[in-house]
Amino acid sequence: MEMKKSIFIIAFLITISLLCILLIAGNVLNDDRKTYVEDQMQAISDINDVQTYSLMNDIYGNKMACLAFKQKLKDWDKSLWDLGMKLEQYRVATEEFSKDPFYIQQKTKFNENELLYMLFLTKINKECNLDQDVVTFFYKKSEVCSKCDDQSFVLTDIKKDLEENVSIFSFDTDLNITNVQLLVEYYDVSEFPCVIINEKKFCGIEDKNFILKEICETNNNSLNCKN
Amino acid sequence: MNVWYNILLYAVWFISTYYVVVLALIMFFGKDSLYEHKKFKSRDNKYVSIIVPAFNEEKKIKHTILSLKKISYEKLEFIIVNDGSSDGTPRIIKESIAGDKRFRFIDNPKNMGKAASLNEGIYVAKGEFIATMDADSVVERKIFQKVLPYFSDENTAAVTVSVLVKKPKGLLQKMFEIEYIIGLSLFLKVFSMINSVFVTPGPFSIYRKSVLAELKGFDEDSITEDTEIAYRIQKNHYKIANCLEAKVYTIIPPTFKKLCIQRKRWYSGAIFTLRKHKDMLLNSKYGMFGFFVFFNYMLIFFGLALFLSSIYLSFSRLATELWHYQYTNFNILQRIFDLKFDLLTTSRASVLGILSLLFTLTILFIGLRMTRSKMMKMKIGIIEYPLLFFFYQIFWLISAVAIIRGKQIKWR
Repeated sequence: MEMKKSIFIIAFLITISLLCILLIAGNVLNDDRKTYVEDQMQAISDINDVQTYSLMNDIYGNKMACLAFKQKLKDWDKSLWDLGMKLEQYRVATEEFSKDPFYIQQKTKFNENELLYMLFLTKINKECNLDQDVVTFFYKKSEVCSKCDDQSFVLTDIKKDLEENVSIFSFDTDLNITNVQLLVEYYDVSEFPCVIINEKKFCGIEDKNFILKEICETNNNSLNCKN
Repeated sequence: MNVWYNILLYAVWFISTYYVVVLALIMFFGKDSLYEHKKFKSRDNKYVSIIVPAFNEEKKIKHTILSLKKISYEKLEFIIVNDGSSDGTPRIIKESIAGDKRFRFIDNPKNMGKAASLNEGIYVAKGEFIATMDADSVVERKIFQKVLPYFSDENTAAVTVSVLVKKPKGLLQKMFEIEYIIGLSLFLKVFSMINSVFVTPGPFSIYRKSVLAELKGFDEDSITEDTEIAYRIQKNHYKIANCLEAKVYTIIPPTFKKLCIQRKRWYSGAIFTLRKHKDMLLNSKYGMFGFFVFFNYMLIFFGLALFLSSIYLSFSRLATELWHYQYTNFNILQRIFDLKFDLLTTSRASVLGILSLLFTLTILFIGLRMTRSKMMKMKIGIIEYPLLFFFYQIFWLISAVAIIRGKQIKWR
């Protein structure tokens, strides 16, 4: 039997349709991802809590604010860390041909929120004698800083082990967020990756053992050094 | 992010999907003519010569000769050619054919190759039609009543049949059993519908002797004479038909190593043949054939490029991960269980992979249904089927390397 050439045209149209279904499915999935990230971002962006604790501190004094903050700290820390991980997963899942503007926008927002919580935690740490370990990590994109990915891996690994007993804040210095740049200047960071462990600066790649040791040395009362 | 990898991924997906959709449509529109069941008429009752070249086949040749004797067709002669075997093949042939005048035996002291043995057989054959058969294959009794009516079209030079696996054992053979049902049976029928059959399989194919004479027989320099002759038949504007209802049962190499050797010969031979007949590519003079073959090899080329890129990326990712672990005291075992599936982390490329897998399995089920295969008996092969694509890439890679290195490809 002779096959008509129209079969090849029909096949082309079917393939194009399948490709469209694929792209639509991908976009639906992307929209879900965006909604999820936006919801999570909204949750951590709610500064009412921060304002409430500040007011409590002003009105009732340290004791009341510290008590309330201690209870909330674990939730904040976990939400912030989880969102950071989700954002990274979002980047990996969506980055096919170019950088996703939504990712850059959300990453900027995330860094700004991180900075707010970090400052707040540092303040409460001092006022409430919380002894919460704080690690601040400054990095650049992997094309110019190959060791930054290594350092990020190490810090993620530490976070998995210590969970809420350590607060790790990562700042992408390529995003050029004004306040982050001020921190970079304040800590005099000129080399990347750079890690600030309880206010002590270490630039260049540091392994897990070193960072754990420094956490203990820089904070005698650290919960992570009981053993 | 690797832009080129993603472009390649989408290109391969598009080409392979288009290819499969074309075949599926041809199959769909031609479903009523898959099994033609052409009636055997008196005009089809022609003399046939079966040529069986044998090289070191002492374990199988007796069984093959027994199956030949069972063929229910009168105008038949058998020409068994011993191709310089170093084992007991000639002795067993002589013993097995003793007293049966339908058999002729050519005993070559030197190994000349399959194509030369076939040509030797063609030279002495009396039949109007020449059936070639591998010494490790078995055909059904009424095969000629099924295939000869296809020659009622004077332009048909050859007829291929369904090539099936004889008693598949083990995971490897069960997986390749499916490939034979789909690739060497159903798809050959589909290709015949667009006059694009590019192989007349060695286990069993039947030719019009006058065409073989016109083409000066099989190419003795080719390591895949069954592919090369198909190209020349197409080049001379003859047709190759397929009779899906006729079956030949062959064996698959039992080990991966032997399978690699076989496939290296097949695929290298296919490339040599393509190179020899490159003028046919994209040449409308040869109808769909030139476009179809080009498309087929383009898919293979891009598929291999994607496979190599994937291997490279996977290994480089693995190396980076391992590199990272040096900073965390290599706590790999501790972290390996942290991996969790999350729909939100599913990329478009993963959706593409899942869609392709579902599509492949759908086509497989339709194909098995159309070939009236007993799926329950093949469940292991069906489960393994997606792995075939991985094996193909390995075989193509081995063949490509052998060609690039200028290595001589041998039969065994």
